[in-house]
Amino acid sequence: MTITSLDLHAEGVTVRKTCCYFCHQNCGVLAYVKDGKVIFAEGDPTHPTNQGGLCARGNQALTFLNNPSRVNYPLKRAGEKGENKWERISWDQAFSEIAAKLNQIKEESGPEAVAAAAGTLRTDDWARRRFLNLFGTPNGFHNALLCWIPTFNIETAVSGWSPFETDLGSSKVIILWGMNPGASSMPGAHGYFDLQRTNGLKIIVVDPRYTETAAHADLWLPVRPGGDTALSLAMLNVIINEGLFDYEFVDKWCEGWDELVEHIQPYTPEWAEPMTWIEPELVRKAARMYGQNRPGNMQWAPTWDEMGRTSGAGIHARAIMRAICGNLDVPGGDGMPGPAAYITDEEMEANDYLPDDVKTKQLGSDKFKMTTWPGYGRLAEISKWRWGKAFTGEWFCEAHGPSVFKAILTGDPYQVRALFCSGTNPQSSYGDAKMVYAALRKVEFLVVCEYFITPTALQADYILPVAGAIERPVIHTNYGVTDSIVASERGIQPLYERKTDYDIWRGLGLACGQSEDMWPWETLEDAYYYMISPLNLPVSSYDEFVETYGMYYPPLQYKKHERRGYFATASGKVELKSSVMEELGLPGLPSYLPPAEDELDDPEVAKEFPIVLTTGGGFMPYHHSEHFNNPLFRYIYPDPYFTINPELAEKLKIKQGDWCWIETRRGRIKQRANVEAAVDPRVVYTQRGWWFPERDQDLTGPNPFGCLESNTNVLTSIDDEDCDPYTGCWANRGLMCKVYKCTEFDHEFTEKDTEFSIPGDDFWKLGGGVHKAPSEQKIAIDFAEPIYAQPDFEVPEGCTWDYKTRRAYDANGRYYDAGSGWMIDPETGAYYQYGTGYKYVSANGDFLLDEANGQFYDFAGQPSAGPQPTFEVPEMCVWDPITQTARHKDTGYRYDPNSGWLIDDATSVYYEKYTLRAYDPTTNLLVDMQTGKYYSMEDPTVEVTVGGEN
Amino acid sequence: MTRYAMVMDQRRCIGCHSCTIACRTWNELPVDIVYNPVVSQGATGIWPNVHLEFQPMICMHCEHPACVPACPTGASRQDDDGIVWVEPTQCMGCKVCANACPYGARVYNEEEGFMRKCTFCKDRVRVGDQPICVQTCHQKARTFGDLDDPNSEVSQLVNQYYTERVYPELGTDPQIYYIPSRGRGRD
Repeated sequence: MTITSLDLHAEGVTVRKTCCYFCHQNCGVLAYVKDGKVIFAEGDPTHPTNQGGLCARGNQALTFLNNPSRVNYPLKRAGEKGENKWERISWDQAFSEIAAKLNQIKEESGPEAVAAAAGTLRTDDWARRRFLNLFGTPNGFHNALLCWIPTFNIETAVSGWSPFETDLGSSKVIILWGMNPGASSMPGAHGYFDLQRTNGLKIIVVDPRYTETAAHADLWLPVRPGGDTALSLAMLNVIINEGLFDYEFVDKWCEGWDELVEHIQPYTPEWAEPMTWIEPELVRKAARMYGQNRPGNMQWAPTWDEMGRTSGAGIHARAIMRAICGNLDVPGGDGMPGPAAYITDEEMEANDYLPDDVKTKQLGSDKFKMTTWPGYGRLAEISKWRWGKAFTGEWFCEAHGPSVFKAILTGDPYQVRALFCSGTNPQSSYGDAKMVYAALRKVEFLVVCEYFITPTALQADYILPVAGAIERPVIHTNYGVTDSIVASERGIQPLYERKTDYDIWRGLGLACGQSEDMWPWETLEDAYYYMISPLNLPVSSYDEFVETYGMYYPPLQYKKHERRGYFATASGKVELKSSVMEELGLPGLPSYLPPAEDELDDPEVAKEFPIVLTTGGGFMPYHHSEHFNNPLFRYIYPDPYFTINPELAEKLKIKQGDWCWIETRRGRIKQRANVEAAVDPRVVYTQRGWWFPERDQDLTGPNPFGCLESNTNVLTSIDDEDCDPYTGCWANRGLMCKVYKCTEFDHEFTEKDTEFSIPGDDFWKLGGGVHKAPSEQKIAIDFAEPIYAQPDFEVPEGCTWDYKTRRAYDANGRYYDAGSGWMIDPETGAYYQYGTGYKYVSANGDFLLDEANGQFYDFAGQPSAGPQPTFEVPEMCVWDPITQTARHKDTGYRYDPNSGWLIDDATSVYYEKYTLRAYDPTTNLLVDMQTGKYYSMEDPTVEVTVGGEN
Repeated sequence: MTRYAMVMDQRRCIGCHSCTIACRTWNELPVDIVYNPVVSQGATGIWPNVHLEFQPMICMHCEHPACVPACPTGASRQDDDGIVWVEPTQCMGCKVCANACPYGARVYNEEEGFMRKCTFCKDRVRVGDQPICVQTCHQKARTFGDLDDPNSEVSQLVNQYYTERVYPELGTDPQIYYIPSRGRGRD
């Protein structure tokens, strides 16, 4: 007898190729389905991502699917806001009531008064964007600013497309910068360590914590949290000054090199030491290891985007580092996926339907331009010009989340009245959680699409039940910016009345009055099938694609810039000094900005809050604020812990497991002490995401579900001047805090601990309240006068300079080529004489052609007969100098001098020139197209009978 | 003959608890029973010269298990292939085996009234699948197989690398082999 009741090989069990939906990796999962019920789920051994493995989160898929606390029906608030009293309603009622309210708000306050947040790839983002665009609001947002988007947009400004594909096979070195794949992207982790053992791949880890990953490093740089930008600049300084870069690539493909060399000189390793706490020699060692081992790889990690003020310059410096070391788009380097052959997310989003005047109302777009319409719009324009397609608007071009919450609270710059939250729990995941709590309490109309009643959903007016893992098909395209697809199908239809959020947005769109033509796909599978249709695969449905192919990878193409002749930037080069940033009034080269708080620049703050705080690092088995209601996980991991070095703990008389307060200028939280030497004695690391779903008995207090009491985002800062001036990402790392033990008289999280201030940094001295209106808050830099690219040649008369394409165009849309002095047609590449507008024709001599009347001239300006044939033109044909072909007098078929046959260009059919009988390749005979009779090839006048005998 | 054994490669284990959760799902364990916890050892040392290692624990499926002879009813058994398991219908829940086991591998289940322990997923192994903890490990830190077969991966790992076992001095001859991440075993 066995203990388990499961038999996967029993009769009637079908296997469905689904995917895990609990992080972005979307590992393959085989769902065993019997009688419409999923009996077990395990890793798919044939899947390219995970090869059969699954992490703890993937392994609890069934617990998630059947969790008794899942929301299964549309719910409408029945009691007071936050009272947790609900009335079950039908989908029809939900759609019509929500749509009526949204349309009313649109009527009264404009569409931009509706904002929408969404979670980390738990949603069909293009569908949401489509709804928002058609509705007319630019205020969709994610926590995207803390996750890749700042990096992607800045790197795209530098090199045309963020180089994020790792191709480790022939890599010599990899930098895992603030990345701990041991806790965040497990399928990839063993790849690094395997190559380290078998290929001699060198691994450099930059991390203030000694992590699962740092434990495997060849070189580990324990940087001060927030010191990453100083470290990047110092490494760049060493690479440049020690000549560790790729001379040829820099010479041929980079713009702004000389200015960069001069600009980088002050940023020496010695300069960086106080900010990074790293010995200069170690910085040099790292720079040499990276610069001398080529090709190399640098792995992006969310850290890059989570340091607030200091982030952007560091990202820019690292983008330069990748480029000048010659690692862009080479085997073993930083691969750049091109535009995809399938229909991309951007094409599904209907961005063209959002009016331009609404784009300017996007919250935060006046302050943080790289990740909102001003920067994205320009970058997307360049991408489309160079490559024909652009990267996704969702994620990459969104409202600044914290500014939305501030607008809800202050009505500044305008009142946001309605908020959607789809698969997101902003209460836990956005900075300054106390302010977010107040905003969620205050917003007039809150609709939450969720799996569970989270602290955010608790405040909702409507909760809509969402279908999750195994209940939905998933197409994985890396947010729509890579050229490959990994696809999975659903195991079962959604249980109860759950819906995929595509169905929700479509239903709501139609209820709001959007045209059915704009939502032509009835199911998500239909939409996905449409997306893959340009691939021309022999499949008749999306599920068939999953089952026969499961993925689509176009042939790998390296060094695309060499083949195309340009990078997808305005200049066609890698812009070390970015023209897009200069157009936006941002610095074109990376200049150091300190983190939001540090002991060097804020001695007064450091006196009160002497310890450096780092937050946001992930830890298994939780993910963001998810799974805290999973008993399997909570049993092994019941309480929040912060990590503190034994040396510091001893000084503060803190012992393992003690509950402690951690306090910054903005507020304080409680976590338990994990005393171990995994961090520097000057640093503590707090865990993120914590809330306590089990505390559902009394939700009336100031802190329902304990949503603030251990929430690390109470400590983080979203003040505009603490945010990155390029992208608006806010400060999660490199903050200053103090730590003290909870005492008998001070261990309760009280009403007072929920008070917030705007700006949050003032809470320390001024207490709660709005001390400054958001529109009066400054960002960390002053915008410079925009600099637009100027011509490096004299623009001839009659031409106007276009900085966007860096060309001078004439009235005919041809641009001036300064090297030759000729005009070029951008469509055909043909040359035209400046002044006369005559086209240059090179065929058996050089000629000029006046296209208006077909007259040829020679270079001296004398009329000429034009190009002459190089072969004898047969008597039934005439020579046409414009197309330089001989054509049949009557039919216009082109004479092919090599074969002696006539060719119909429209059909590519060959004709015998005297009889005009067509060549039939299947019979190898001539056929008369009028009569259908066949004739011999040897003698075209002899008729041949075809058929009858074999 | 077949002799099942497992090799835990601590150079690969990153302490993600996947095996713990997968095991609980497959074996439908109550919330307070864990067959294979992953123990974090560290960070040890003085900053920044520190070391971190994870040790996945599990029933050692000993060659000479202390729990089997301790059982007064014969419910505790060892198969020819070495798998140690409990026949629930014969177990009266006296917990003598749990006291005898030096590895804490046996847990009494109050609700069901008998002892529960890791079975090397013998139901999966019998139909040719890997134990669920092995299949789910994306770090490939766990290897399962027949130690009597010189060509099996477990045999090769045990022969190729320095391995350690837990309390081999007790004479139980445990069949879980650990390849430590640092020290003499590092290649």
